[in-house]
Amino acid sequence: MAANPGNKIRNAKLVLLGDVGTGKSSLVLRFVKGQFVEFQESTIGAAFFSQTLAVNDETVKFEIWDTAGQERYHSLAPMYYRGAAAAIVVYDITNAASFTRAKKWVQELQAQGNPNTIMALAGNKADMIEARQVPAEEARTYAQENGLFFMETSAKTAINVNDVFHEIAKRLLQGQQAQNTPAGMVLNQRPAERMVSSSSCCS
Amino acid sequence: MGSNTPPSRAALEPFATLDPAALAGLPVSSPLTKLLLVDLTLHDADELEVRTRDIALVDGVKALAWVGDSVFVGTASGYSLFSTTNAQGGDIFTLPESSRPPRVKPLSGGDEVMLLVDNVGVVVDRSGHPVGSSFVFNTTPDCIAEVYPYVVVAGDSKVDVYRRKNGAHLQAIPFARPGTGGLIVASEDAGIGSDVVVIATAYKVFCYRKVSAVEQIKALLRRKSYAEAISLLQEFEADGEISNDMISFVHAQLGFLLFFDLRFEDAVNHFLLSETMQPAEIFPFIMRDPNRWSDLVPRKRYWGLHAPPKPLEEVIDDGLVTLQQALFLKKAGVDTVVDDDFLSNPPSRADLLEVAIRNIIRYLCASREKDLSSSEMEGVDTLLMYLYRALNLVDDMEKLASSQNSCVVEELESLLDDSGHLRTLAFLYGSKGMCSKSLGIWRILARNYSTGLWKDHAILPETDSLETSVGKMSGEEIAAVEASKILQASSDQDLVLEHLGWVADIDQELATAILTSEMREKQLSPEKVVAAIDPEKVGIHQRYLQWLIEEQECDEPHYHTSYALSLSRSAMDAVRLGSNNEERNNKEFDSDMQFIYLLRERLQFFLQSSDLYDPEEVLYVISESELWLEKAILYRKMGQENIVLQILALKLEDSEAAEQYCAEIGRDDAYIQLLDLYLDPKNGKGPMFTAAVRLLHNHGESLDPIQVLERLSADMPLQLASDTILRMLRARVHHHRQGQIVHNLSRATNLDARLTRLEERSRHVQLTDESICDSCRARLGTKLFVMYPDDSVVCYRCYRNQGDSASPHGRNFRKGGIFKQSWLVSR
Repeated sequence: MAANPGNKIRNAKLVLLGDVGTGKSSLVLRFVKGQFVEFQESTIGAAFFSQTLAVNDETVKFEIWDTAGQERYHSLAPMYYRGAAAAIVVYDITNAASFTRAKKWVQELQAQGNPNTIMALAGNKADMIEARQVPAEEARTYAQENGLFFMETSAKTAINVNDVFHEIAKRLLQGQQAQNTPAGMVLNQRPAERMVSSSSCCS
Repeated sequence: MGSNTPPSRAALEPFATLDPAALAGLPVSSPLTKLLLVDLTLHDADELEVRTRDIALVDGVKALAWVGDSVFVGTASGYSLFSTTNAQGGDIFTLPESSRPPRVKPLSGGDEVMLLVDNVGVVVDRSGHPVGSSFVFNTTPDCIAEVYPYVVVAGDSKVDVYRRKNGAHLQAIPFARPGTGGLIVASEDAGIGSDVVVIATAYKVFCYRKVSAVEQIKALLRRKSYAEAISLLQEFEADGEISNDMISFVHAQLGFLLFFDLRFEDAVNHFLLSETMQPAEIFPFIMRDPNRWSDLVPRKRYWGLHAPPKPLEEVIDDGLVTLQQALFLKKAGVDTVVDDDFLSNPPSRADLLEVAIRNIIRYLCASREKDLSSSEMEGVDTLLMYLYRALNLVDDMEKLASSQNSCVVEELESLLDDSGHLRTLAFLYGSKGMCSKSLGIWRILARNYSTGLWKDHAILPETDSLETSVGKMSGEEIAAVEASKILQASSDQDLVLEHLGWVADIDQELATAILTSEMREKQLSPEKVVAAIDPEKVGIHQRYLQWLIEEQECDEPHYHTSYALSLSRSAMDAVRLGSNNEERNNKEFDSDMQFIYLLRERLQFFLQSSDLYDPEEVLYVISESELWLEKAILYRKMGQENIVLQILALKLEDSEAAEQYCAEIGRDDAYIQLLDLYLDPKNGKGPMFTAAVRLLHNHGESLDPIQVLERLSADMPLQLASDTILRMLRARVHHHRQGQIVHNLSRATNLDARLTRLEERSRHVQLTDESICDSCRARLGTKLFVMYPDDSVVCYRCYRNQGDSASPHGRNFRKGGIFKQSWLVSR
């Protein structure tokens, strides 16, 4: 424990889980390097990154494990989420199967993982609204029921990417309090609202 | 995290091979079914205690590694970790279905362990936590060895070398023909510090050793694999495996190689990255040897991968020949190391030359910021100018030439002259203090501009660019401005006067500024200057004299006279012009009037304030003109009161000024003179009664009525004069009575004085026998004697000697009069 709590750097293991092709590596690349590549190679094994984030006067150093989405490497995942302070479960809003897979990851984390792990549900590729298959409301409801916080993100347009990590960092620093709140809180509802208005209104 | 690009580095190189006969006891892996921990404890008295512990395993053990307190076990289902201290264990992860058998490889001397899943290497620490990104091998490894900082993997009849830190694939060494048996690689167990790796095939053992960072880069450069060399350099730099000097060395070497490959921009980028490279190293590219700076060029050959520097044109010609050959070879299907961009889009010689020069310019400009020796600085600046000239970058040339620079003039003057960059040359001469040469050029330029000869190629862009920066100035004006800058600071009188003329022809303001500049150390001789000024250029002459008199406080009378004369002539000319051109609109007329007014004001002010000029000479000049006020001032300087009054009263009809002048003269007759003028103006003019009456009204008391009346003509209307005359006469009577009073008072005083004198004279004095002369001390006896007012008594003879005014007591009656109380006027 650092003598001066104001300047302490907190290391936090963070793991990204989700189906193949949902954009885990792209989210990390956007967050760590601010870049986006259209054709990101499929991750094999796991890739490691680290990035620090300042929240108020405290610093969180994320040790990010970007796991492979391929089923073949599923068995490696427990090694990566073991002892993780936070996990981001990623699905692709244009792919309903990936949302189903995400739910499985959440279940697995709830069953196998550390109960204190902060879990986030990220609906990635939010820029491709016309191809949407997973309604934001459905995901939000699911997230609330399961104590996750939810955001729709886009690694391509950078929407909500930093916000997800920032929110995680905030919750990490809040410590136990955040853990005890029953439902996740949606920090930024803009993409969801836009979606709702365009789909539910007949005008 | 594997890379798919074909590796071309040589991180390992072979240095020995061994015969199979030399090999013995190669490790043979056989599947284990049980894990048994055996603790051996040596007690006192050499008693050895043996304790065994079984660890139950579901599967048979297929791979095992023991590092520190941790035992890593690989079975068909996955990897587990056991602690030797408590025999407790747990799964690290399970293997996917139908995967290759597990393999465990301790790395970094046992600090970390690599666990294989198919072709993926997951690195974990001793407690089984993952460390860093996974390795992705492009074959399923048969055998793994570590030679820090590389991981060497054998499999699929070849050996691959990966970077330990980031898993990048560096090198592939093909070995046995497929199907001839597996490969085995091994290194010293510690992994760190060893640089040998042994690779065993079915028939031979090959020994490879690590290639140093520098050698790897050198090999890449020799193959012209620049991009890889650069990325390798960056890797080594980030890892601190290469010294700063070496980094600079490599950048310089890279720069030279790229330069000879005609990739000038990249070359210069690398030159700039090299901290140890000296600017002189690229001089041979610019100027043919031998030259002034040949001795300055260091004999650095780097790794000798490039030809010795030679002039740029030759580099390009040779490069183009190589390119042609490469094109030919490519058509023939032979691979070359020439840049693909060049092959697909062959550059022209002219383009290459321009790019090369622009980039060398960039380098030289950056070099100027460095701390260089003076001779090197000279080389940099001179060659920079040389290159600017080659591209006809006139703006840059002039900027360099006119700023602080170290150009060697002798190297450049004939070049610039030949190519017509005269302005640059003029700037250069100017910045080097070679004023005379610089001015000579400006003069030529000014002349050529004005005759329209200079509509040549080189000059057009030049004037354009200057127009934008200096506003709308013509070429000749610029020449004059530049020349005047030099002349204003120059103390060389002959030079200044030599060039004054042409500058004045272009811009009189500039010429004036040159003459009146206070920047020069030694002022010019006014005599020479005045003689040198073109008599036609009145403005310059006047302004110079004005400056001389007003600023320099010159008191030479002839300059004052010249100035007065010059101003007078200008004023006369202006008045004449103004009166000639009457048919002009009001606005022009107003501005003309304003101009004349200001000019005359200046003249009048000067005539009044200076006492040094010759008024007669000035008067002579303006005698025929209408400059009456000026004339009045001049006559006044000459003491010609009557003429002054005539001018003021009659010509200018400024009676106030005339009266003021009379007051200044301070004599009554001045008013009479003025009255005379009013009453009898002559020259056919009628009497100016109003003015006369005004005069009498204001100053009548001090005028003699007789004289006044004598002068009043019979024609004067009585009603005009009566009031005034009445006043005057009353004043006279009053004056007369006042006089009488004063007269009588004076008489009374006079009477008193006479009385006192009488009393003094009638004083008595008593003499005895003892009485002596106060002067000669002789007894007076019966002699004649004299008594002074201070009561001293002297003999007559002494009185004659001494006179009236001084008594023998030393009192001088002329200087200090004697005064007695009794003498006061009693009434």
